[in-house]
Amino acid sequence: MIVYTLFIVSLIVFAITQILPADAAVMMLGENATQEALDALRQTMGLDAPIWQQYFSWLWHVVQGDLGTSLRTGQPVGPVMFEALGRSLLLAVLSIGLMLVLAIPLGIIAAVRRGKIADMLVSLVSYAGVALPEFVTATIAVLVFADWMKWLPPTGYVPLTENFTAGLAHLVLPVCVISVILIAHVSRMVRSELVDVLHTDYIRAARLKGIPRREVLRRHALRNALLPTITIVALDVGYLLGGVIVVEEIFAIPGIGRQLIVAIQARDLPAIQAGVLIMAATYSIVNFIADILYAWLDKRIQYD
Amino acid sequence: MTNIENRPVLAVENYSLDYETANGPYHALKNINLSINRGEILGLVGESGSGKTSLAWSIMRYLPQNAGEPGGRILLGGDNLLEKSEREMETFRGRRISMVFQDPSTSLNPTLSLGTQLTEVLIRHRGLTRQQAWKEGEALLDRVGLKTPGQMMLRMPHEASGGEKQRVVIASAFACNPECIIFDEPTTALDVITSRQILDLFVELQAETGVASLYISHDLALVARTAGRVAVIKRGDIVEQGTVRDIFTNPQQDYTKELIAAVPDPSHRLVKDDVAITETPLVKVEKVSVHFGRKPFLAALTGKKTERVTGNNAISLSVNPGEILGIVGESGSGKSTLAKAMTGLNRFEGKIWFDGREIKSLSDMDNAYRKDVQIIFQHPDASLNPRQKISEILSRPLKLFGDATDLEKKVGDMLEQVRLPRTHANRYPHQLSGGEKQRVAIARAFASKPKLVICDEITSALDVSVQASVVELLLELQKASGTAYLFITHDLNLIRQIAHRIAVMYRGDLIEVVKAEEIDSPDRADYTRRLIEAVPRAAANYQ
Repeated sequence: MIVYTLFIVSLIVFAITQILPADAAVMMLGENATQEALDALRQTMGLDAPIWQQYFSWLWHVVQGDLGTSLRTGQPVGPVMFEALGRSLLLAVLSIGLMLVLAIPLGIIAAVRRGKIADMLVSLVSYAGVALPEFVTATIAVLVFADWMKWLPPTGYVPLTENFTAGLAHLVLPVCVISVILIAHVSRMVRSELVDVLHTDYIRAARLKGIPRREVLRRHALRNALLPTITIVALDVGYLLGGVIVVEEIFAIPGIGRQLIVAIQARDLPAIQAGVLIMAATYSIVNFIADILYAWLDKRIQYD
Repeated sequence: MTNIENRPVLAVENYSLDYETANGPYHALKNINLSINRGEILGLVGESGSGKTSLAWSIMRYLPQNAGEPGGRILLGGDNLLEKSEREMETFRGRRISMVFQDPSTSLNPTLSLGTQLTEVLIRHRGLTRQQAWKEGEALLDRVGLKTPGQMMLRMPHEASGGEKQRVVIASAFACNPECIIFDEPTTALDVITSRQILDLFVELQAETGVASLYISHDLALVARTAGRVAVIKRGDIVEQGTVRDIFTNPQQDYTKELIAAVPDPSHRLVKDDVAITETPLVKVEKVSVHFGRKPFLAALTGKKTERVTGNNAISLSVNPGEILGIVGESGSGKSTLAKAMTGLNRFEGKIWFDGREIKSLSDMDNAYRKDVQIIFQHPDASLNPRQKISEILSRPLKLFGDATDLEKKVGDMLEQVRLPRTHANRYPHQLSGGEKQRVAIARAFASKPKLVICDEITSALDVSVQASVVELLLELQKASGTAYLFITHDLNLIRQIAHRIAVMYRGDLIEVVKAEEIDSPDRADYTRRLIEAVPRAAANYQ
């Protein structure tokens, strides 16, 4: 299934870049190039071939691991993009980690103490989290923690391998900004799932077998309530990929989002294709893993 | 029969229960008095909403936040449960008093193995280690009649049948040799034959252990088979209590009499056997098969063979004009699948002849066919649009199939035809009771003056007394209009009362079609005989 998905994604990515109002030859040679020079370049780049031929030759190279050569730098785009992806993934993984650590307990507290003050507080915070876009939270965070308090560096990126503490310090604000929205989203999800599960017959049956509340929650309710959360987290990766673009731009992190923006600004078609394809592939793969994980945890589900 | 010297195991004394609602307090239980001795089964019978399950929750001390208890005591072996803390109750539940629930498919956690769910009681209350508990669990499963206990322990709930699951639930209820067990409609969600087996198991285990049992049910016939004494509950009041024999032979209260009268009795036929089996039946179903499942995309590409689930396997039967043909069978036997095929809701192979016309596929089912063949579904809640008024619901078939003049009067007439006040036209479905909603669904089906009405388990969501009145209405309509019915049900006693012929289905196959009065003859197919034997008819024994 994932192969089909990626194939269709590659088609869409290619089609989009074809529609973009940019001519690669003009981009490379500049506005004043002669027609002969343009034609010659188009021929060497294969741009005069029919579109489907261009597509399959591009796809053939992609399959072999060659994502094309940047029109802007003349370097292969693959390595650059994957290096950027690595930085973005670090950001994403840390954000998801922080989110899970905070969102699940918050959701559980809200569900168990439904209608009480704790529940309302969690709801309030998560509404705020959902309502505020990341560029607002990011700006506020930079203002407060970097500008006023001077606790953390405002922007920039230091590889962890180079200087671990400095690298970490640079990651704190972006990670927090990304996780705020995720936490809001996932904690609400955990809460509503758990509330549903706590009202099922089998929870009541377990309680009436004399199993204490806490143990019923741990053994019977949590597992079933957290299962759908896997799907939600996987879907949130889609948000993450979009959100990361904004956050990377604000915090000047050279991740894949930033690379993509640079590529789009420069009309660097191969780079755009590579960037979008990598993002789509990441999303598909994450969701594929989530499906497998779900089936593994919930034995009722079987995929052919 | 009751030993007065012994203190009862469970005694409920002057117990009342209120629920705080937005419209003020709702009195769910009023001054309940009952007691159960060791070795005794007390049947608690009442219709839905009568408070029988509320009483079970009260005894288990598992009440919602808005419950209030104005007075009374609930004594378990001398301990007043009302005075026990939640922590103390946690040590009682499962050990001294346990419960068997209605639907084993919802009362077991879908993601834990049956063994895990059984052993957790043993680990908690009997202090066994995991290994000891597992071994004990296997012994318990053996005791409740499961063939391969070791294997069953490892299975997940979805890998076991309803009957097997209910046996596991029963095993965990008996696991710690409690003093008292509450059975809350333990067979309602099961098939006829399975529920008979579960009932036999219950009677056997009960006699063996002598546990005091409170058996809650809406089915008087079933309670009569198991219980020694019966308490009849109506709107939170116990109106009558006594031995089964007294209740059946000499009921004191009108309500009890109504309940007993409403229990379908197969020997009391409600229709005349005057339908001629003609050469030209109204409907002839010829080798109709229904298969489910579609080829997955990948399998279609690779040409891999996929197994399809068979819903109906070459069914052939016919319905004569004005005939009531009953279809019986367990859940999953393909009764509703056939009904859906005949109304165009399922794709089918084979042929249907209707009134001389040949129907080969869904595209042959035109407006005229749909006008003549109507269906009534099991749950009126699901089949009536909650956002439409009754008048809108009923005028739709009139606009579709009849003339749409003078709708208001016609809708009113239709309501009157099904014994509902004309003013109900302005109501929404949620403002009606279950029985009233089903009457609206019946009126809707009859709006187009059909020749065949398919009734798909239309009374099984209703209480016995409501069921009796709905059936009465259906028979009157049939008499007046001469409409033929295809009456699908799992209630054998009911169908034997009202059907001319009965078709028996089993796992997608049609076993046989027999005259209603001949269904209990010994020449019937094996499966039919098993089905007939499984049905409790004890009520008749006392009448």
